[in-house]
Amino acid sequence: MFSSNTILILAIPQAVLVLLLLIKPFDKNNISSSLILTIVTIAGCTSVLVRIFELTHENPAWALWLYVIAQVIMIWESMSNWTRINTDHKPFIDNIVNLTVPFLFGASLIYLWEILTVGFNVPQILLPSPHLIALAFAKSTSVLWADFQQTFVKAVLSGYLIGCGSGFLIAIFIDRVPFLQKGLLPIGNLVSALPIVGVAPIMVMWFGFDWHSKAAVVVIMTFFPMLVNTLTGIAASGQMERDLMYSYASNYWQTLLLLRLPNALPFIFNAMKINSTLALIGAIVAEFFGTPIVGMGFRISIEVGRMNVDVVWATITVAAMSGSLFFALIALCERSMTAWHPSMRNR
Amino acid sequence: MKKILFLAVLGMFSWSALAADKLTLQLKWVTQAQFGGYFVAKEKGFYSDEGLDVTIKPGGPDIATPQVLAGGGADIIIEWIGSALATREKGVPLVNIAQTFKRAGLMLTCRKDSGIRSPSDFKGKTIGVWFGGNEYPLLSWLSKLGISASGGSNGVTLIKQGWNVDPLLQKQAHCVSTMSYNEYWQVIDAGLSPSDLVVFKYDGEGVAVLEDGLYVMENRLNDEKFVNKLARFLRASMKGWEYAGENPDKAADIVLENDDTGAQTEKHQRRMMREINKLVASSDQPNGIGYLDPSDYNRSVNVLLSSGDAVITKAPKGAWTHKVYEAMINL
Repeated sequence: MFSSNTILILAIPQAVLVLLLLIKPFDKNNISSSLILTIVTIAGCTSVLVRIFELTHENPAWALWLYVIAQVIMIWESMSNWTRINTDHKPFIDNIVNLTVPFLFGASLIYLWEILTVGFNVPQILLPSPHLIALAFAKSTSVLWADFQQTFVKAVLSGYLIGCGSGFLIAIFIDRVPFLQKGLLPIGNLVSALPIVGVAPIMVMWFGFDWHSKAAVVVIMTFFPMLVNTLTGIAASGQMERDLMYSYASNYWQTLLLLRLPNALPFIFNAMKINSTLALIGAIVAEFFGTPIVGMGFRISIEVGRMNVDVVWATITVAAMSGSLFFALIALCERSMTAWHPSMRNR
Repeated sequence: MKKILFLAVLGMFSWSALAADKLTLQLKWVTQAQFGGYFVAKEKGFYSDEGLDVTIKPGGPDIATPQVLAGGGADIIIEWIGSALATREKGVPLVNIAQTFKRAGLMLTCRKDSGIRSPSDFKGKTIGVWFGGNEYPLLSWLSKLGISASGGSNGVTLIKQGWNVDPLLQKQAHCVSTMSYNEYWQVIDAGLSPSDLVVFKYDGEGVAVLEDGLYVMENRLNDEKFVNKLARFLRASMKGWEYAGENPDKAADIVLENDDTGAQTEKHQRRMMREINKLVASSDQPNGIGYLDPSDYNRSVNVLLSSGDAVITKAPKGAWTHKVYEAMINL
């Protein structure tokens, strides 16, 4: 498909640039120089990527290592060039730079993964290359979507809402009835320390094989962080502010709704962010212990047994993306609702 | 001067230890009487008589033995044919060098009060399967019976069973997958009696696949020294299995001594050893324990190809060999 001429055309600019850099290093730090550097690096990387699929066993391993090291150096140089750009604090350019570097970093990690697994012929059942994972993802989209609905939409979301909701309500209850703090907190502590792998089979026995038992596991995992954080948050309002509310003759509920809960929001969002990752982990692990034949944890455990490791990685990708998006959504809500908090100030 | 002589004499003794050939065997599951023959061979010195220093690594719920082989963690693994052929098709060339179990122990255990008396009664029922390679015989059987595996009143609802028989005891499933030597007895120990149960053996239904066999990486069979090591290993293991066949209680005790977890009980292991001996069926292996009968292999391949869930898409070539067996005869 690619002739050797195309490969040379892609690789030569990079070689030329490297020679130029050795003779006269770049001292301009602006966007155009970074862009040139990045584009040339990408061209060089593409030439290697195309070549490795034609490698035979006779090619020596050290040649591939030289390629890899050379590419890593070029990638390093281009990324550090991006961060050294003098943006004059213009927000538009700031945004471009802030988005480009993480994107390039992630892309180069995946690139290195690809050339190392393909170049060194790593067995697919140990670590599949990204292109195989992408193929598996494309082939099994309907299956992955069904799994996502079973695990994320049914088990994680319902368990998360019940767990966080009950944690919040019990925290307010404890605040109203002080002696319960001494009684319920240690029990909450105990419940949170129960290992999932011990609790999950018991939940399956109680609630059956379907998503209800997974939601129950998620409730157990998310209850305590929410409880503790809400309690701490409610108690965090300052003495002066509480005195002010007292002087306005506000009753308990008014103080709670107008002063103490808004002050508790940073803590509550903290707990919600922690719980978002815990919920996903809990639901997937709980599925190892008995499911109907759909679900992300189910998919991972059976495809590992069938040696379809690329489908396992495709499921992992779905889990990672959904977990990150969930977290990002909560962070976005936090940013809009607690914009007054010092931690939200821009640098 | 005396010290140097003393050290030299000690050095000469260690030479014999250096001479022993090392081999690592990866088991398919935790230490139990399912692998009794290998533990007997190690304990009774059959391996060291052949000049072998064998390390036996126990497996477990999260250990896929072909991955251990591909990663270089073992020289020989015990695996079932479905998973082995699927791995071979995925590009890891493993080869069967011996088939220890002639018979299959996988069976479906159902409650009598579910109303199931024969396979046609499976319609509309819930069946627990382990997956991870153990679902192929059931899927093949269902496609032979013309019953769909996707639920509904005319099909079977499958659930992924954990490594226990709770779904049967908790009435969450009408039938569960059991091994004749392990989980079936867990059901009996839990209080159900054989008259409360209806049992379907996959062997009897013609949909069984070969179970415990020994597999190595294909490229290593090109090395004559390695084939010689394997031949000696096979001979010593066969002696171990023959001993286990004649002395099941002593063999079970050897397994218990080697069980680091302390989870196994004497009653369970002695019973398991007797059941395993029925699977090894040394009286039905006229060529000796471990000789793979090609007709058994072909039958297994046919079951796997017809399971409707594409564990293998085409008949594999060169997935088994008698090379090690012949080397053993010529030792």
